[in-house]
Amino acid sequence: MTAPAVPVGAGVVAARPPGGVISVVGRLVRRPNGFIGFAILAIFSFLAAVPDLLVGPLQTAVTATGPRLAPPSEAYPFGTDQLGRSMLNLTVHATRISMVIGLLATVITVGVGAVLGIVSGYVGGRLDAVAMRIADFFLVLPTFVLAIILTGIIREVIGTGSREIFGIRLSLLVIVVVIGITSWSATARIIRAQTLSLRERAFVDRARVIGASGGHIMGRHILPNVMNLIVANAVLTFAGAILTETTLSFIGLGDPFQPSWGQLLEAARSVGAPGLGAWWYFVPAGASVVLVVFAFTLVGAALDSVLNPKLATRR
Amino acid sequence: MGVRYIASRFVTAGVTIGLIVVLNFVLFRMMPGSPERLLLGRMPGVSANVLETTRERWGLDKPLFPDQFVAYVSSTLQGDLGFSYAARGRPVTDVIAQRIGPTVLLFGLGEVVAIFLGLALGAWSGWKRGGLIDHVGNGVSLILYSTPYFLLGMGLMIVFATGLGWFPTYGMRDVGRVYPGQLEELIDMARHLALPLATVSLGLIGQYAIVMRSSIVETLSEDYITTARAKGLNDGRVLRSHALPNAMLPTVTLIAINLGYVVAGAITVEVVFNWPGLGTLTVDALASRDYPVLQGVFLLLSVAVVLANLLADLAYGLLDPRVRR
Repeated sequence: MTAPAVPVGAGVVAARPPGGVISVVGRLVRRPNGFIGFAILAIFSFLAAVPDLLVGPLQTAVTATGPRLAPPSEAYPFGTDQLGRSMLNLTVHATRISMVIGLLATVITVGVGAVLGIVSGYVGGRLDAVAMRIADFFLVLPTFVLAIILTGIIREVIGTGSREIFGIRLSLLVIVVVIGITSWSATARIIRAQTLSLRERAFVDRARVIGASGGHIMGRHILPNVMNLIVANAVLTFAGAILTETTLSFIGLGDPFQPSWGQLLEAARSVGAPGLGAWWYFVPAGASVVLVVFAFTLVGAALDSVLNPKLATRR
Repeated sequence: MGVRYIASRFVTAGVTIGLIVVLNFVLFRMMPGSPERLLLGRMPGVSANVLETTRERWGLDKPLFPDQFVAYVSSTLQGDLGFSYAARGRPVTDVIAQRIGPTVLLFGLGEVVAIFLGLALGAWSGWKRGGLIDHVGNGVSLILYSTPYFLLGMGLMIVFATGLGWFPTYGMRDVGRVYPGQLEELIDMARHLALPLATVSLGLIGQYAIVMRSSIVETLSEDYITTARAKGLNDGRVLRSHALPNAMLPTVTLIAINLGYVVAGAITVEVVFNWPGLGTLTVDALASRDYPVLQGVFLLLSVAVVLANLLADLAYGLLDPRVRR
């Protein structure tokens, strides 16, 4: 028997971009912006993974040993804060808090957004109309003010105290959830739009004709084909989540016992570091935020041109 | 512009504002502890009798829905937003009204500066794509875009206020200073405004430049640009009469959509410079758990953003004749 002209499942294969995850990462790293972005993120991920090995345990008011609010010196390369804690120690530990909160918030945001987007786009009808109305509502709202209020209210309702889950204080988990609640809508909109066009494709029709259930089609046919979009969206969401967390902490919603970059910046402001000329108090944490967000933006742009080659030639 | 297009935009905005009012009611009723306990419970020796009378007077003995909800909506419509806890019972509308002026001044000016400079920078780097301006401008825009406003503010403050001493670091006027005339007061306010204004503008310029650049690049690949060049128009004409007007369209919407995010920046910049606007009010209210004020600020800002979006939609309809659904 001769091979069929069109192999079985060609529609499915054609709908996916050429190459797997490894080849995409490979092509990303070969672009200068992708390489720089990945390098920055690798460094900060390393800091976040083993802060204790690098700078010892997180210093507290009790274990602080340095002079108060001293500029950088040999013993304290990033200077010290008003309690005599090493800014290097604080900034490296804050890396872990900021990155973990950013990661968790991204998982929630993209998870909720992707599931709602796929289901809403595939099922359609009234569910779709209601879900997208809610998404639009969240897109218009000044979500940051909503986030401030939600954080305050949820903390009042559940009471935070010093409870921890997986080593993260409850007050910070509230921030994770709040970022998720206020930022899922953009992801849902994008994924839904893609799902709408996929729904009409031949391979989805074929699956339906051979009797696949809606859940099966969404999970095995739609999801793999929106995966690119989900990843690209997650990269940008991560940057946004870190910015939101930093800003929320900066206006006093952080947790001093598990300081993030935003919490350090808040401390710098309330001590009056800019007015005292104590630049070392906020430059390390500030530079970290900018570098990480910048790196995510670079990776996002590189990803965009790898996944949409047409765009790349035009720009 | 079609009547249906306009009507549909107004209906959408109206429904959104209605939802905001409902959300505002629901959110703040989720709080533990009833309002009379929050207020009176802080004072020692309040008898159960007083608490009961207060509950009745405020209508808290009635069910949440419909009685309390209807009361809330009708007083909100009449401009009664309740009383501030922290400002010793002053009406929330009074407390907020006092803070609107400084915020509008700072962000209105900031938006104007950023729109002019950001769009110009974006258009220029998109036009000279791949050139020096494009590379430098794009890099600077991306870094500005990645920087939280308050960080920019702290940087500017330490260099230009603390370091060089050119500008004050704090507030809107010198504390306790008596001005000989209005001109002196105005000059002093301008000096106080300079750094916050620079922060806001710089923060926005990055976003606007990025949007404008990609919009111009997109436009330049269109057929009508090729046609315009083929007709022999010079570069200036092609840019001014063909590329710019079309590239401006998406930016109009994006600027309006961005307003919601600008609010976040607004709050933090004001905090850094102690600018007496809505941002510092929000943060103070949060710290003192002054929920009526928070509720009021949320309502005001959300409605403002919805209205701005409505205006942008209408402007878009006017500018782009294709939008006439």
